[in-house]
Amino acid sequence: MNRLRVLKLGWEFPPLINGGLGVACLGLSQALAKSVDLTVLVPMSSPDADFGDFTLRGLNQVRMEEIETAEDRYRYQSFAQVRQIPVFLNPYEDGEPAPTSTPIQENSITFQERVFSKTSREQLEVFKLGELYGPNLGKKVVEFSKIAAKLALLEEFDIIHAHDWMTFLAGVEVKKATGKPLVLHVHALQYDRSGADDFGWIYEIEKYGMEQADCIIPVSRYTGEIIASHYGIPVAKIRPVHNGAEPVASFATRKKFPEKLVLFLGRLTSQKGPEFFLETAARVIAQYPDVRFVVAGTGDKLRPLIESGAFRGLGSHFHFTGFLDKEKVHDLLSMTDVYCMPSVSEPFGLSALEAAQFGIPAVISKQSGVAEVLKGALLADYWDVELMAKHICDLLTDSDLHATVAEQAKLDIAASTWDAAAAKVLKIYQEVSC
Amino acid sequence: MPDVCLYFQVHQPNRLLPYDFFRIGENATHEDDALNASILDKVAEKCYLPANSMFQRLIEENHGRFRMALSISGTLIEQMQRFRPDVLESFKNLVASGGVELLAETYYHSLAFVHSNKEFDRQVDMHLQLLEDVFSVRPRVFRNTELIYNDAIAAKAETMGFDGVVAEGVARNLNGLSPNFLYRAPKTARIKTLLRNTRLSDDLSFRFSDPNWSEHPLTAEKFARWLAESDGDVVNLFMDYENIGEHQWEDTGIFDFWKAIPEAIDDAGLQWVTPSEGVDLYRSSHSYSSSSLTSWADAERDLSAWMGNVMQQEAIGKIHNLEQKILAVNDPELTHTWAKMQTSDHFYWMATKGGTDGSVHRYFTPYPSPYDAYIYFMNVLADLQIRLRRAREAKGLGS
Repeated sequence: MNRLRVLKLGWEFPPLINGGLGVACLGLSQALAKSVDLTVLVPMSSPDADFGDFTLRGLNQVRMEEIETAEDRYRYQSFAQVRQIPVFLNPYEDGEPAPTSTPIQENSITFQERVFSKTSREQLEVFKLGELYGPNLGKKVVEFSKIAAKLALLEEFDIIHAHDWMTFLAGVEVKKATGKPLVLHVHALQYDRSGADDFGWIYEIEKYGMEQADCIIPVSRYTGEIIASHYGIPVAKIRPVHNGAEPVASFATRKKFPEKLVLFLGRLTSQKGPEFFLETAARVIAQYPDVRFVVAGTGDKLRPLIESGAFRGLGSHFHFTGFLDKEKVHDLLSMTDVYCMPSVSEPFGLSALEAAQFGIPAVISKQSGVAEVLKGALLADYWDVELMAKHICDLLTDSDLHATVAEQAKLDIAASTWDAAAAKVLKIYQEVSC
Repeated sequence: MPDVCLYFQVHQPNRLLPYDFFRIGENATHEDDALNASILDKVAEKCYLPANSMFQRLIEENHGRFRMALSISGTLIEQMQRFRPDVLESFKNLVASGGVELLAETYYHSLAFVHSNKEFDRQVDMHLQLLEDVFSVRPRVFRNTELIYNDAIAAKAETMGFDGVVAEGVARNLNGLSPNFLYRAPKTARIKTLLRNTRLSDDLSFRFSDPNWSEHPLTAEKFARWLAESDGDVVNLFMDYENIGEHQWEDTGIFDFWKAIPEAIDDAGLQWVTPSEGVDLYRSSHSYSSSSLTSWADAERDLSAWMGNVMQQEAIGKIHNLEQKILAVNDPELTHTWAKMQTSDHFYWMATKGGTDGSVHRYFTPYPSPYDAYIYFMNVLADLQIRLRRAREAKGLGS
C-alpha cells in the first residue's frame, strides 16, 4: 500500500505555543511522519523551523499570488455557521460594496457568499501580526478556513486531520472543497473551558465540525463521552487515542527544607480547579503540618487564590511560584513528593505524565483523561476535597503506598509513547480512506 | 498667636529580595542590600544631605530661634552606619547644633504596640539605647510608628517615663476642638498629647507641589500668615523628612520655601518650639480621647494602610506569632532578622487600596504588585521558620 498523504490543520505549533496543544501536535506529527507523508498547515510558523520529516507551512509565509490561483475554484460552504460568530457579523467590513448597490441581479445571499469567499491581501496580513489568539480570534478562525481550503485545492493528499475548534471550520471547508475524508482531533472542548452552562458560538463550531467529520479522535475516553453526551455525536464515530509523552531525563533534587512537597502545576483557571487544591491543602495541613503546597502557574485565579490562602492562614505553607519555564518546572518536579491535579474537566492532563516520569505519585480528579493511562493514580471527584486530602495524607505518610503508586506510574508511562498513539491514528486513517 | 512646632520623620525600611519559592530553606540573606543601599544613596543626595545642611545653616543664622524635631528610626540609623556613615555624620552635626530635638520611637518602625506589649517595650528601649550611643541624647517625647495612637498608647508612654506623645489630630476624636492645644488622654496623670494639624501639615507635605491646588504656588509669607491667623497654643507641623527633595523634588521650590520660612515666621511675630518645649510651656486643659487606634496614614487615618486586607493581616499576625519561640532561642542575629520583618513598610506594600491612597502605596513599593509583596514576604517567613526550627533543635528546645 502506498504511503497515505495527510494534510494536518493545526493552530499552535512549537516554537510558537501557548499551551499543551502545540506540544501534542508536534509529538504526534513526528511519530506519524514515520508512516505517512505529512503537511502541517498552521496560522503562523517560525521562519527557521525545519522539522525534516514533515512540512510545516504557516499562513504568515504564504504569498497572495498562490491563493489567487485557487480563488475561482472555491466558494465558502459554511456560511450559515460563520454568521453565528459574533466578531464577524458584518462580512463587508473591509469596504466591499453592499449587494443592493450593485447592478448584478442575483440572489443576494449567493452574492454575499461569493464576495465573502474571496481572500483580500489585508485578510492574509492578519497572520503576520504575531498573535495567535487575541480579540479577533473569531475572524482569524474564519480567514484560516478560507485560505486553508484554497491552498488544499493546490495540494495532493488523502486525508484531512484538524486539531481543536480553531481549525474545525477549516477542516470542513477543505473537505467540502476537495471531497477528502475529515478526521477531527479533540484536545480540549468548550465544555472543559467554560462548563456545560456556557455554550456559545465556539460550542456551535465544535458541534458543526464534529457532525461533518468522518471520525473524531478525542484524547481520552472521558472526552469521548462528553462528545457523545453533550454534542450528540454518534458513538461509532468517536475513537479515543491517548496522548504520548516525550521522555525527559528525570533527576532528583534534595529539598532545602525538611517538609514534604505537594505540587499543583497548570494555568490558574476554573477548569484546572486550583481552589479545590487550596481546600485540599487546608485539610492536609490541619492533620499533617510538615508539608508545603506549591502552586506553579499563573492565570485569572491567581489573585483570588492568594487572598483565599491568606484568609485561611495557609500563607507560610501554601506557596506561589508564578509562571515557570520548563527548566524550573523540572527543578520543581525533581523535589516533589506528591502531584495533585484536581481539574474540573481535563481532556488529558499531560503534566501528570511528566510528573510520573519523575517517579511522583499522583492524586487526580476523576474528571481527567490521564486517569485512564495512570492506572495506579489515586482518584477522587474534583469537588471531593476530603477524599483528595485523605489520598495525599496516605501518600505522605505511607512510604509503601508511595512506592507502589510511583512504580505503577513508571510502567504506565513506558507504554505512553507517541509511536503508540500514531499507530492507532494510522489505523483510523486507513479505515476512513477506504 | 500660637507657637509653631516642627517635627520630621526620618525612616527607611530594609526591603526584601524578590524571594521566590526555590530559596525557602536556603537560610541566606533575605534583604536586598543593593536596592537598600541605592535607595539610601538616592534619598541622601536628594533629601538628607541637602536638607541637613540647609537646616544646619538656618539654625546657625537664626541664633537658636529656629528649632525643630526629628525622629530617626533604628533601621535607618543602621543602614547609614553600614552604607553611608557620612550621612549619619551629617545628622549628628545637625543634632549637635543644639536646635534639633530627637523623639523616641520603636527601633524597627513597627506595629509592635498593636501585637505585643513586651516586644513594644523591647523596641522602644533599643531605640533609646541607640540614640544614647549615636547622639548622646535621651528623648522626652514619644512618637509611635506612623503616629499610631490611642488612649492606651498615651498611658503606656507615661509609664515609660515620657512627658509627651504625638498623635494625628483626627477630626472624629476632636469633635470640633482645635488640634492646636495640648491635650490630656484619659487615665493619664501628666503626659501631654501633641496633635498634628492635619490641614497645615498636609499643605506642606502633599499639596505644596500640586499645580492644581488653588493656593499654588505657596510662599513662606503666605504660610506664615496662615499660622499667625490660627487659634490655640501650638500648631504642630508633622511630616516625613523625605518630603523635602525626595517626594517633592527640588524643582518644586520646596528647598526655597523652607529656606524662607524662619524669617517669615519671625516677621509674622511667631516663635518656634520643639515638642518638649511645647509640653513644658503649655497646659493640657482639655481631654482628647481615642479609644480606637488612629494614625496619620491614608484617608481613613486608621490601621487599614497596614492591616486592611487578609494578606496584610496574615503576614503581620504570623510574624508576631513567632515572638516567644524566637526570643527563647536567644540568638541576637535571629531576633534582629525577625524584628526587621516587623517594619510597617512590608505590610504597607501589600495594600490593595485604590484611589489617591492606593497610588501613594504604589509610589513607595519596590515590588510589581501587593500580591508579589505578600508572596515574597511569606516565602521569607517560611525560610525564617525553618531557620528557627533548626536553631531550636540545636538548642534542645523542641521544634
